[in-house]
Amino acid sequence: MAARVTWVEARDFRNHPGTRLDLGEGLTAVVGPNGEGKTNLLEAIFYLCALESPRVASDEPLVRRGAAAAYLRGELEASGATALVEVEIRPSGANRVQVNRSPVRRRRDVRRIVRAVFAGPDDLEIVAGEPGARRRFLDEAVRILWPAREGVITAYDRALRQRNRLLKDWDGWGTPRGLEAWDGELAAHGAALTAARSEAAGRIAIPAARAFEALSGGPSEPLTLTVEYRPSVSGDSLEAAFLARLDERRGDELVRRTTLVGPHRDDLALAVAGLSARGFASHGEASGAALCLRLGLASAVREELGEPPPILLDDPFSGLDPARRRRVAESLGSWGQLVIAVPDEAQVPEGAEVVRVRGGAVVGG
Amino acid sequence: MFEGPIQDLIDELSRLPGIGPKSAQRLAFHLVKVPADEARRLAGAIVAAKEKVRFCRECFAVSEGDLCRVCRDPGRDPSVICVVEESKDQAAVEKAGVVKGRYHVLGGAISPLEGIGPDDLRVQELLDRVARDGVAEVILATNPNLEGNATAMYVAGLLKPLRVRVTRLASGLPVGGDLEYADEVTLGQALEGRREM
Repeated sequence: MAARVTWVEARDFRNHPGTRLDLGEGLTAVVGPNGEGKTNLLEAIFYLCALESPRVASDEPLVRRGAAAAYLRGELEASGATALVEVEIRPSGANRVQVNRSPVRRRRDVRRIVRAVFAGPDDLEIVAGEPGARRRFLDEAVRILWPAREGVITAYDRALRQRNRLLKDWDGWGTPRGLEAWDGELAAHGAALTAARSEAAGRIAIPAARAFEALSGGPSEPLTLTVEYRPSVSGDSLEAAFLARLDERRGDELVRRTTLVGPHRDDLALAVAGLSARGFASHGEASGAALCLRLGLASAVREELGEPPPILLDDPFSGLDPARRRRVAESLGSWGQLVIAVPDEAQVPEGAEVVRVRGGAVVGG
Repeated sequence: MFEGPIQDLIDELSRLPGIGPKSAQRLAFHLVKVPADEARRLAGAIVAAKEKVRFCRECFAVSEGDLCRVCRDPGRDPSVICVVEESKDQAAVEKAGVVKGRYHVLGGAISPLEGIGPDDLRVQELLDRVARDGVAEVILATNPNLEGNATAMYVAGLLKPLRVRVTRLASGLPVGGDLEYADEVTLGQALEGRREM
């Protein structure tokens, strides 16, 4: 069994006034020129599962210009059960979410039904961008693998902001009063976040490397991808190590007036053939590595839940040469549900159900 | 934006906790529509509360007199102090009827993001009470969130040299709830705080 989205309806969502899409159990290719609404459809599918966009942090751009709200409806299927999910997205104010016609108390409960994985051109940032992009990827992995651990991420973030504000606003001599209390909160939540990220990176590393090997053509071309978590704090007892590091850096922190120890300074080391991917990988290798991180995440979700999650690939082939395109398509041939958006018919893999999109509408199969 | 008194009313209302600009606007327009005596009654209630309600000089809970009901009660154990953030928390703990001692209302929790530091809370007053009254146990019943925990940790640090027993409320599962619906953090804490049977 595979987890999947069986159908989705988008009303006033981005450039779609009203689109319905039925999705098969295998590969669906959404084809259309740039700007016609392919990516928006993939985004709608992802939103229905995750209750957030994979591309933008705010919901405002999701609502079609001139509309009061966007509506998404669809059916999710996982572990043999189905759920009808309905979302009203408002440009400002709280969204309304219903599952099987009843309002949901916790968003997290919806997000754990189907854990779709979205991969798109923006993922190049993870490989080629600043460490912040890699930390966001790790946190996303933590949330998708273990939705209940989301609280760890938000608690750490709040503890960090509280402590930074205390350091910044302190105008007396020596150590700000109450700093030790925030040290304790920072270390407790920071240790939990470090452990979660470490576990997530560990789950992703091997399948991502395997996907990259398949993409590069196997052992004849010795191109390997290594994924290694580089935490700011490490040790057997993370919380104790964290407090010890804070103690060591106290002087610097008081001068620079900001927190210098913790998961907000973590990185994820990515290397292609032993060289740091950020500086040394070619554009093609970097896009390939980014795609493989997402595929690695999808495999980790499959391992965790025992069924493959839907993968949504937005324009996955443009950075790749024809041989690599073919190998990506081959390696995903037996995955569960897979929806890819491609700009032209030539890129549609064999055996795909084809959906054509023009001007925010599906124009026939 | 509106002009004159209506905008003043909106501005004042939006300064209240939990009231955003939209709600303030709705309340303001409601208030100008109600009969004059109803508006006067509300205004009077606010002024009367401000003038008559006082804070207990011992524990700083909302009180009608100089001392609150709990601090006046000779049956209460003076060697135990239960520390809470607000008067409403005191009322909640009191309802449980488990604390036989007295209370101390801090007046909030430490939160640098909101500009609330230790000096804005009645921490020194607590230390004075503990030293003066020979208190044996301080129960820290601040909220089980980030700010409440940090406040508890801060206060505990200051109480340590006074050689008093300091305890913190346990976190765990709500009575009458289902394990299945408990979130992972709460469940984890409940497991950490498990008891021998």
